[in-house]
Amino acid sequence: MNVAWRKLCRKGGLWAATVVVLFFVLAPMLWILDSSFQGENELLTRPSHLLPQQPTVENFGYIFTGTIPRSFEVTGTLRSRVSQEAREVPQALENSVIVAVAVTIVNAVLGALAAYSFARLRFAGKTLAFNFLLGSRLLPAIAVAIPYYTIVNAANLLDTYTGLILVYLTFTLPFTVWFLRDYFQTLPEEIEEAALVDGCSRLQVLVRIVLPLAAPGLVAAGAFAFMFSYNEFLFALLLTQTIKSQTLPVILASVATNPDASLALTATSVVLAMVPPLLFALGFQRFLARGLVAALGRV
Amino acid sequence: MGNLVAAEAVRPPRLRRRSGRSRETVYAYLTLLPVLLVIAAFSLYPILYAAYLSLHKELLTDPNDHHFVGLGNYINVFHSFYLVDSVTSTIVFVVMSVPAVMIFGLLVALLLNQAFAGATVLRVAVLLPWAMPPIVSGIIWRWILNDDYGILNSILRQLSIIHYAIPWLSNPQLARVALVFAQVWHEGPLAAIFLLAGLRAIPTETYGAARVDGAGWWSIFYHITLPLLRAPLLLVLIYETIVAAVTFDLVYIMTGGGPANATALVSWFAYTEVFKFVNLGNGAALAFLIAAALLVVILGYLRVLRSESPR
Repeated sequence: MNVAWRKLCRKGGLWAATVVVLFFVLAPMLWILDSSFQGENELLTRPSHLLPQQPTVENFGYIFTGTIPRSFEVTGTLRSRVSQEAREVPQALENSVIVAVAVTIVNAVLGALAAYSFARLRFAGKTLAFNFLLGSRLLPAIAVAIPYYTIVNAANLLDTYTGLILVYLTFTLPFTVWFLRDYFQTLPEEIEEAALVDGCSRLQVLVRIVLPLAAPGLVAAGAFAFMFSYNEFLFALLLTQTIKSQTLPVILASVATNPDASLALTATSVVLAMVPPLLFALGFQRFLARGLVAALGRV
Repeated sequence: MGNLVAAEAVRPPRLRRRSGRSRETVYAYLTLLPVLLVIAAFSLYPILYAAYLSLHKELLTDPNDHHFVGLGNYINVFHSFYLVDSVTSTIVFVVMSVPAVMIFGLLVALLLNQAFAGATVLRVAVLLPWAMPPIVSGIIWRWILNDDYGILNSILRQLSIIHYAIPWLSNPQLARVALVFAQVWHEGPLAAIFLLAGLRAIPTETYGAARVDGAGWWSIFYHITLPLLRAPLLLVLIYETIVAAVTFDLVYIMTGGGPANATALVSWFAYTEVFKFVNLGNGAALAFLIAAALLVVILGYLRVLRSESPR
């Protein structure tokens, strides 16, 4: 009886703690999701409505089609404000995804090639090259912001995908090479040697044997590259000028810091921006957790 | 003679191996070349250029004067109106947010390490804030904490805990705390997942023996878990210190450095020098000073880590 009671208490305590943490983690995201289904007039009423009284998808409608929500037509004491920038969210989403996917693919290809050579081959200057790669990340990003701007400007790549992609590659490649090298080293070398004896080239060994075995590592490295590029703000702000290449964080910041911003449209923009990272975190949960541990564990 | 024959017989395979080795070397260099080129273009030149900027007068409003000023820009930074305050703000932010992130991470990791269904749900959910762009995290918290239409004030008022709106982001002290809150929300998950891996690496027999000896929960935690978690804790400490010390996105979106520069961290001024005061020379000098200070902190931590590791 006593033991059973204590067990029940322990279970109850654990669940209570779980609920508290879940609330802290999820409530902010759920609240902004909730807000995106409320009209501007409803968001301005006080006390705030925990659940939308007149749920509406008009905010999403405005962002995608430009149809001004009915709630904005309410005048009088309530101001009707429409954030024009919010209309740029779909294009910014597209820009973000294009840049992030490109960075991910280049990381996977170039990173895997280089990492495999670092993992298995012996050649002069190997340690030097490797330390150079890692050392390049020691300077805080903000210290090289101006030089990066001048380089990208000199190459005529301001406000282009290519400029952003190049800069993000310099931030992500060292990590990818480091991460994949360590991953490749954990694989059994015997199969590769057998394939070499059978006349396979190193490239064939990498593509046909190593990469299939290292798929989880490749996914983790790719996911990190994607997330970094998708989330990055400072350099995106610096290197883009128009919606031709502006990524989501830049557009979100301009929507949200506009003093006359529409609340409903800000919330809706944020919700749209949350979709890709949410899908990523849910889909690659295992890989991300494992990759994160491997990444931090080797400082 | 016999030796020569033997040598002849040996030569061909050795030759083949050597040419194979050199072909592999060429392959290795070819595979490294693209990566090294990208990195070299975006590291050697930028560092040299930043160093050049920091030693010259580089003021965009005075575009024809780029004379050498020696350490003048560094002296400017030391004499600037913001240095003392922003360094203080940064240290306060680091000292508040890093322990908060670590305590959150440790508690959640301990919870996740328990065998019950909730742990599975929580493990998936807890990663979500970390996956968000910091800009999104910042907007979400700004949204909740807004004194006018924010949900937090609304709920507190309805529960009659407060009677007038609290200006979470426009009171200097509260704004600092708000920033820490957002930082814990965004960075805590990473600490939790990493420390969970550390907890899992502790063999269960270690606990079994202690339990047989009749050790209590706290005693087990304090004498076994915590010492064995030392290395992962230190790594999280290093990583989170760096992240907190160069925090920019959250400040940009949540407070814009305000109110009254209360949340203007050093990285904020590295940005302001360049983009508001358009003084590239001072900006570069400040960036180097930040980099140097960070390097000192990291080396200090690593020294501690090294001296701990043999145990």
